[in-house]
Amino acid sequence: MSIEVTAVSKTFGDSVVLRDVSLVVPDGELAAVLGPSGSGKTTLLRIVAGLDQPDPGRGTVRLDGEDVTDTPPGQRRVGLVFQHYALFRHMSVFENVAFGLRVLPRAGRPSASDLRERVTRLLHLVQLDGLAGRYPHQLSGGQRQRVALARALAIEPRVLLLDEPFGALDARVRQELRRWLRRLHDELHVTSILVTHDQDEALEVADRVVVMNAGAIEQVDSPDDVFHRPRTEFVVNFLGAVNRFAGQAQHGRVTFGSIALPHDHALEGHARVFVRPHDFELHAAPNGHPGVTATVLRVHSAGPSVRVELLAVSGETLTVEVSHEVQRALDLRRGRMVVATPRRIQVFAGPPRTDAW
Amino acid sequence: MTTRRPLTEPAWARRIVMGIALAFLGAFLVVPLVAVFVEALRRGVGAYLDSLADGAALHAITLTLVTAAIAVPLNLVFGVAAAWALAKFDFTGRSVLIALIDLPLAVSPVISGLVFVLLFGRQGWLGPWLASHDLQVIFAVPGIVVATTFVTVPFVARQLIPLMQAQGTGAEEAAAVLGAGGWQTFRRVTLPNVKWALLSGVILCNARAMGEFGAVSVVSGHIREQTNTMPLHVEILYNEYNFVAAFAVASLLAGLAVLTLAVKTVTEWKSS
Repeated sequence: MSIEVTAVSKTFGDSVVLRDVSLVVPDGELAAVLGPSGSGKTTLLRIVAGLDQPDPGRGTVRLDGEDVTDTPPGQRRVGLVFQHYALFRHMSVFENVAFGLRVLPRAGRPSASDLRERVTRLLHLVQLDGLAGRYPHQLSGGQRQRVALARALAIEPRVLLLDEPFGALDARVRQELRRWLRRLHDELHVTSILVTHDQDEALEVADRVVVMNAGAIEQVDSPDDVFHRPRTEFVVNFLGAVNRFAGQAQHGRVTFGSIALPHDHALEGHARVFVRPHDFELHAAPNGHPGVTATVLRVHSAGPSVRVELLAVSGETLTVEVSHEVQRALDLRRGRMVVATPRRIQVFAGPPRTDAW
Repeated sequence: MTTRRPLTEPAWARRIVMGIALAFLGAFLVVPLVAVFVEALRRGVGAYLDSLADGAALHAITLTLVTAAIAVPLNLVFGVAAAWALAKFDFTGRSVLIALIDLPLAVSPVISGLVFVLLFGRQGWLGPWLASHDLQVIFAVPGIVVATTFVTVPFVARQLIPLMQAQGTGAEEAAAVLGAGGWQTFRRVTLPNVKWALLSGVILCNARAMGEFGAVSVVSGHIREQTNTMPLHVEILYNEYNFVAAFAVASLLAGLAVLTLAVKTVTEWKSS
């Protein structure tokens, strides 16, 4: 069942949290809303759930085509998983999962045996068999998160909303859980929105990534497109480390530092150029391609790739990522002179910025 | 080899500090409590029971129980409502409400009593209206109930507010999304989460309701077998040099205090 958010604005007091946000998540898709804290992503999720309302007359929410803007949360049939789980701490795991079924109107309430069967099935689905009698405080963070998920799924929601579901977990559990969540989604095919500030999580799990910044959507695309074809500077910056240069564009060429490269934007004048660390090649000497001559400041080789910090002769510092083979071949170490050649660049219009991004 | 940790004081210093604390507790809390029971039983168990079975004493006990039976439920309802509103919602006048809840603790109980005399007394603002409807509040049971209720306003609310604020609204929101109505959410989620704090508040409220002297003293008129509560009765008996009877009734209040502390300790242990 699709989720359709149309032209939603939301203000709290003086601060504008969402400005004219529109988003469509087609039936069966898992969309990740990615953004820094304060970008409005959680508010957007709460508006879909019905816990917050758009400003009066400023936007609608549709689930499966039905306008639910004025429907209270309990009648929307959405499953919501909270960042801090919000489990009922005085109830056992079983009762937590059963809650949504127990509060149904008498006519729709399942019988005791039916309820037991459904809860048991859900606990099996989230791999918590045998923990039905435990209380939340007796569970690990990952287990609590799965109880919260089972509880949300118990009401057979039309859509599933996850607010930073792995935010409070340590790195390894996070990775396991998000892969598991992706497999679960492929099994259940329930339309889902996952809110996160972790770009790896968004890029790995989602069918579609929605990048938000300052209450507005910057880009909605597949994970590949968001990463390789960012539409705005913000997206470039948010999706990982990047080197920034101030440059000039003229006649289909962009010049920054000692480099001049062709580019295909219809752009003239001030330009901002972005190069990811892994989009640089390092050479021992100029090789005919345009490059930056620089001195190695520092080499971090403890990791799958080697991160090299360089000081360009023009005064900028660069971060470059190369393989261990390249490091050995060039014998990279402090003080060595190298030439850094960009393989791919991203160019946006605009004068140099001095503020921190 | 010395194993002194940075925060370990020498043994003599620890003993002195602990000694001061224990001596203070002993002199100001334990000795008076023991004295009450010793004095009450000075003439034996028979005399003790006789003074409690006395008509005036029985009436005072009954009136105290009735007063508490009205004041405590009222403050239970008010306390839960106020704590719910303050902890779960943001509204204008919120800080005023918090301050107002503490008012009875800030004002001397005698002043509280005088305020009600000013309101409901014969020369008071509502006096003529009450008189014309043949209603007596001051120097009657209603006045005692009103004064007691006023003085005990803070107890339930103050136990609940910090806990409910700390717990936040996450569980309530989860319940709302799962389809629970307001009452279902309150009964199944909010209330169970605060039940021990609530019990603790009710117990403290009850202890104060039964033990209140100042405000009740002003509005009651001290009419024996009519408007005398237990604390007032203790004072009358004491002023009549009837020490055994005075301490016998006082021992009931002291016993209530001990029981209150015991139950409160249990509830705090349960809720943590």
